[in-house]
Amino acid sequence: MPVVSKDFVPVLIKTGGSTRVAKPVAPRFRAGDHVVVRTMHPEHHTRLPRYARGKRGIVEEDHGVFVFPDTSAHEQGERPQHVYSVRFTSRELWGPQAPDRDTLRLDLWDDYLDLVV
Amino acid sequence: MNGVHDLGGMHGFGPINPEPNEPVFHHDWERRVFGVMIATFGGGHYNVDQFRHAIERMGAVEYLTGSYYEHWLAALETLLAEHGVISHQDLAARLEQLRSGGH
Repeated sequence: MPVVSKDFVPVLIKTGGSTRVAKPVAPRFRAGDHVVVRTMHPEHHTRLPRYARGKRGIVEEDHGVFVFPDTSAHEQGERPQHVYSVRFTSRELWGPQAPDRDTLRLDLWDDYLDLVV
Repeated sequence: MNGVHDLGGMHGFGPINPEPNEPVFHHDWERRVFGVMIATFGGGHYNVDQFRHAIERMGAVEYLTGSYYEHWLAALETLLAEHGVISHQDLAARLEQLRSGGH
């Protein structure tokens, strides 16, 4: 069991326990790609909010490789993969009553997305 | 998990009123919960995803009426009991001791 040292505490507080990992995993998408969020209702942990499922967006930025929360929360391995900032229009998420110029960005893991062809 | 924690797009919870000059801790016990989290997370008893999921596994009413650090405390109790660091019996006994004026 690791021991928490005094020097480690400020690092932990600053990073908030980031799960970024230095693993050579190929990205499935790149900036500018049109993607659709997979529709799913898993009973396990996920960082994919319900309101984004089935919605279409555009990949804006690749944040790099992170541990996959959906498996990591259940001791089923890290399954490291890319996380992207995906931009959605408010109207895509909320319908025609939403302001027409508003957008929302969500950080989404590779396994939550499919390419729109 | 489609739990009550996934609040995005839900109606009826009223406005969000950020507190001006919000202190880091509102009560001394919150400072202690923070310390226990740092010690047990840093000590490798669980990972950050297990911690978040433990909060999601709170009962719906408890979750919606609980404060930020009450969520942390609930997650700590769940995870440390599941991982055999404490037992629910120990926790109940200690609470009883404190209620009856013990230290």
